[in-house]
Amino acid sequence: MWSTFVMTLKANLRNRQALFWLIVFPLALATLFNGMLGDLAKGYEVRALPLAVVEDANWDQAPGAQAFIGAMSGQATASGQAAESGNAAESEQDATEYATVERLVDATPAESIDGARAALADGSAKGYLRVDGDGRIALALSPSAAEAMGGISPTDTNGAVAVAVLNSMIGLYNRTDATVRDLLAAHPEAASSQAFWSSVGNTAGAAREVSLTNVKPDMTARYFYALLGMACLMAMGYAISAVTYAQANLSPLGIRRTVAPLGRGRQLLAGFLAGWLCSGVSLTIALAYIRYVCDVPLGGREPAAVAAVAVASFMACALGTMIGAIPRLRHSVKVGLTSAIPCALSLFSGLYGQFAMDLSDWIARHAPVLALINPAQQVTNLFYDILYYDSYRPFIGTCGVLLAMSAVFLAAGAAMLKEQRYEHL
Amino acid sequence: MANSNTVLGTRAQEAATPAISVSKLVKRYGDMVALDHFDLEVRRGEIFGLLGPNGSGKTTAINCILALLTYDSGTIRVFGEPMTPASYALKRRIGLVPQNVAVLNELTVEENIDYFCSLYVPRKADRTPLVEEAIEFAGLGDFRRFRPGKLSGGLLRRLNIACGIAHRPDLVFFDEPTVAVDPQSRNAILEGIRRLNEAGATVVYTSHYMEEVEEICDRILIMDHGRHLALGTADELKTMIDAGERITVESPDVADETLAAVRALGFVVEASYDGRELDVRCRRGEHNLVDLLGVLRAAGVNIGHLTSRPPTLNDVFLELTGKALRD
Repeated sequence: MWSTFVMTLKANLRNRQALFWLIVFPLALATLFNGMLGDLAKGYEVRALPLAVVEDANWDQAPGAQAFIGAMSGQATASGQAAESGNAAESEQDATEYATVERLVDATPAESIDGARAALADGSAKGYLRVDGDGRIALALSPSAAEAMGGISPTDTNGAVAVAVLNSMIGLYNRTDATVRDLLAAHPEAASSQAFWSSVGNTAGAAREVSLTNVKPDMTARYFYALLGMACLMAMGYAISAVTYAQANLSPLGIRRTVAPLGRGRQLLAGFLAGWLCSGVSLTIALAYIRYVCDVPLGGREPAAVAAVAVASFMACALGTMIGAIPRLRHSVKVGLTSAIPCALSLFSGLYGQFAMDLSDWIARHAPVLALINPAQQVTNLFYDILYYDSYRPFIGTCGVLLAMSAVFLAAGAAMLKEQRYEHL
Repeated sequence: MANSNTVLGTRAQEAATPAISVSKLVKRYGDMVALDHFDLEVRRGEIFGLLGPNGSGKTTAINCILALLTYDSGTIRVFGEPMTPASYALKRRIGLVPQNVAVLNELTVEENIDYFCSLYVPRKADRTPLVEEAIEFAGLGDFRRFRPGKLSGGLLRRLNIACGIAHRPDLVFFDEPTVAVDPQSRNAILEGIRRLNEAGATVVYTSHYMEEVEEICDRILIMDHGRHLALGTADELKTMIDAGERITVESPDVADETLAAVRALGFVVEASYDGRELDVRCRRGEHNLVDLLGVLRAAGVNIGHLTSRPPTLNDVFLELTGKALRD
């Protein structure tokens, strides 16, 4: 049995066609995805917007606006506020919160509005900020930034997000500033109240980022996981060959091996184990490439991802055993199925773009049984579970589904093999 | 002394046991009877030819013997023991060279031979000399690092044989091993089979090339429709049929009357003349040539070159199995 295992391993590792589909193809597709989807991911990132800041007389008379824009530029410290509050503990907490705030503005000082417009004209800024006589901040955008704001710019895909966030923050500042001015006008004594100023500062914490998932969602990760699902199913070719070459009714090689004094079960087991090992190693290579070269996250759970590869490749070999055992079907047809089945099932696991992703989601919501019996979807889910869920329970559940599938495939394969006899030379 | 007598007696008994003994074997595929109370006995140490047209049942018979197929009734014994799929001790003594080349294309010549030998001889130390011997036997020494895809048809056939005999089997089945090979490779293969036999192996040989079978087989069984038709040496088989020699006479002046006189001879099955050569197929008879020459001389025919060819195994085969085309 050992020699059969080693022989099958050698044969698998020298099978260029299988190596192409299991290693080269996923790596090439992952590289392609990385190139295509990298920009898509960047589109969801908030990046600092280059803006000119008009530092005229109004600016000098608006320390609040200065502090606010400084904070948006990443220059803010919590020390000023902490000093105001006089609360050391609160100061430490606020400092931590401020440190996590994204830098929204890449500020360039301008002495006047004309200077700011000049910066827009030479392209060094996409807009400018100025403070009016009432201390309110106004944002003016260049035509390109305005296009981005409207979502019609073909090149500046992330500009819309940055401008929207900045506009929202400026609006919040202006409303708060106006409210404070009104309150102080009506109740001048409030200016000496520490509680008043604390409550004004608290508005900064009105919006707080809360993570519902294990890690920050990555819009492109699903495509890579779906790719792993497809590559995994292609690994069934190893098991198909292992069965074909051990069965007397399926190949001349099977005749020769059947007349040898080694039980058919042990030969099939050796072939299965060799196929499992090869497919596991191939998929681990693809996984490592996706994780470390394409930088697709696994939520810091890489060992679980390797376990997922082991479970997924086991299922693929079980499926291959079943297909390999189908009588009266030529080996070439079965080899063709190793490409056709993964390609077809990957449509429903979301590999082929947004439409496929929507279809996959629709099936998961409206026909969950179909998603449950789709091995490509389940393999995709394995990695999805690892990335997004806090608990390992969904991952273990998906492993259970795949192992149950494997049991069904192996039972069907064994039943077919048991019934087969050698009929024609 | 008693013990040594017992051992010698057991060995003598074992030596007397046929390599293969098949009795009243019946195998049906649905309504079709592939083997119809088929009997076969292959003696130890002989090269046994199994002949039959396509669909005659010879492959089915071999598959039943090798426990690749179940059968409906009858008995099969190999070296005196019943053959089953789990008869691993018996299987270790059997080698098979299938008609289709059955090797792994991803492995080299040496690795292929080593792998198939390992199915019979698990220990590497025991196996290595056997593999070397098989490589030398098949003349593949210069190609041991080649993969099958780089080998010619003849070399592939030789590799196929080396994979089947590397474990030094006592009984080897050769299923049409010379199909689609050139005369040199065919000669090398037949030489190899003879050497195997001389080394003590019993050989069961199937082929459609009658001259090969006649050349190397000690005994030949002709079968058709799943039944045993004739068994014997090539010479014995030739005596079993009615066909005698075929006489060819070169002559420019055989008249129609002379041709009619030749056809009227009692032993003549068929006679034809093409203006240059008279071709006469005869029944078995001791004086056919003398009687034919007497007719020709009486008619004043000038006789040039004359040949008389005895019946061949092919004649025997065609007479026993008929000339109708098979699938």
